[in-house]
Amino acid sequence: MDPTSRPAVVIDNGTGYTKMGFAGNVEPCFILSTVVAANESFLSQPKSSLKGSWAAQHNAGVAADMDFFIGDEALTKSRSSSTYNLHYPIEHGQVEDWDAMERYWQQCVFNYLRCDPEDHYFLLTESPLTPPESREYTGEILFETFNVPGLYIAVNSVLALAAGYTTSKCEMTGVVVDVGDGATRVVPVAEGYVIGSCIRTIPIAGKDVTLFIQQLMRERGENIPPEDSFDVARKVKEMYCYTCSDIVKEFNKHDKEPGKYIKQWKGVKPKTGAPYTCDVGYERFLGPEVFFNPEIYSNDFTTSLPAVIDKCIQSAPIDTRRALYKNIVLSGGSTMFKDFGRRLQRDLKKIVDARVLANNARTGGEITAQPVEVNVVSHPVQKFAVWFGGSVLSSTPEFFASCRTKEEYEECGASICRTNPVFKGMY
Amino acid sequence: MVYHSSFVEEEGITKACGCPLLPLKSHIKGPAPVSEQDRTDIVDEAITFFRANVFFTNFPIKSPADKLLIYLTFYINVALKRLEGCRTLAVGTKAIINLGLEDIPVPGETGFPFPGLFSLPSSQEEADLFRNYLKQVREETSGRLLSVAYRANGTPNKWWLAFAKRKFINVVLL
Repeated sequence: MDPTSRPAVVIDNGTGYTKMGFAGNVEPCFILSTVVAANESFLSQPKSSLKGSWAAQHNAGVAADMDFFIGDEALTKSRSSSTYNLHYPIEHGQVEDWDAMERYWQQCVFNYLRCDPEDHYFLLTESPLTPPESREYTGEILFETFNVPGLYIAVNSVLALAAGYTTSKCEMTGVVVDVGDGATRVVPVAEGYVIGSCIRTIPIAGKDVTLFIQQLMRERGENIPPEDSFDVARKVKEMYCYTCSDIVKEFNKHDKEPGKYIKQWKGVKPKTGAPYTCDVGYERFLGPEVFFNPEIYSNDFTTSLPAVIDKCIQSAPIDTRRALYKNIVLSGGSTMFKDFGRRLQRDLKKIVDARVLANNARTGGEITAQPVEVNVVSHPVQKFAVWFGGSVLSSTPEFFASCRTKEEYEECGASICRTNPVFKGMY
Repeated sequence: MVYHSSFVEEEGITKACGCPLLPLKSHIKGPAPVSEQDRTDIVDEAITFFRANVFFTNFPIKSPADKLLIYLTFYINVALKRLEGCRTLAVGTKAIINLGLEDIPVPGETGFPFPGLFSLPSSQEEADLFRNYLKQVREETSGRLLSVAYRANGTPNKWWLAFAKRKFINVVLL
């Protein structure tokens, strides 16, 4: 019955997707969209007519407030019947709707993971720069409603760094480039603590790449049914996109060998069931190019991703900079494009070398700096690097000692959840 | 970042309106000097870089040849728009010939798409020289564009015609 002998439950709640599973596993058990569909037909009556609201509640069913779904089930239910309203509890990395979040966790623990929360320690994640109050609310919900024996709330960037640990080296200093569906964040972490003032956000992310691909296919006149075009663009992005080294050379390659580069997408029209095919060509490399040349997509933001990473590191304390350049870790689904890490490293090295040369020239060649080593780390679990880091850290024995336990919570109250000590793990 | 022209050196090239009149591999009569057949000329560069450069809305100029590159990129965009409805090579050629017969404005006249990019002509001869050069370079570009925009059997190549919908530097010519 000892909870420390069982694997901890690791849940990574993101704005778009939630990854959940048990510690010690290589990949999460479930990856679901962070959306709740709740049956709210009984809430629509005004409060004044009491009789009316009881009748509505009776009509809705015996346990209407327990009638909710999460993830893909929620999306299909809301599309098929109008009694369910969709709620997105997390916006821009912060939990905005605590009721929906509590329901979401309920479904996760009891319906998907099917474990008894009293038997497992929990590791949850949060974005950097979250207000401490939200950690308090999280602690309250978990300790009071779910009765968990212990809780640790980790910053997702630190976990992404932990995903890169090998048996010989575990660097707690590095820059985490988290390219998700909603926004891209560049977060420098030094010795396990996030340098909050240097965090940079870029408004370009996975959804924008999908929209750009959708636009390009529409301009070319591909015959895709309009209600499906966003979905098709997303699947094309996930299956066929890659990062090129030079756009013009890539255009020429496509011209010379169209059979090798132009792919076919086969789909089925939703209304009629008739199959259709369309060509996939230039968007294969123009999609990921949006990160390196944001101008081609929109005018609002024109700084490329390597330039933003460089600015972020230059604004960090000077003694951390070399270590930050040496360990740039990628995380998030939108970094899964082929050769994304190599292109990022090449472009960033160009910027850094140009600056070192300019500095050397300014001193007249008398003082030459050591060349700065730039290293972008890619590894196969990038898509859920944060979850994987959580799994790794929570399977070390130090984890249980660093958690906030139920006894501490009952003694001191929810405010203990505000601080979660950083620990290195067993290496 | 945009792709710039490689014709950086300006020795021995006549200039008009601050723009070098670069040599072309052309059979069409005009004021341009003749270039050797196996070198790339400015028209080749414009067509090769078009599909990349058309996405950009800012174009930093590194050399005066870039001004000509901008003008040609814009002209290719206009030509593709004219080719949008043309289903065969014959109809497309007719549309392009019509485009070439229209008046060609020089810097300083209304209707020139990039006011301020080129310097104003100092004399009537310079304006006429520039106008003839533009006519020649436009005809040459149209010819080479038709060979890529249409396939061997005369049907339109959708991979090129898709770029008709793009707006280069957000300039729209009425």
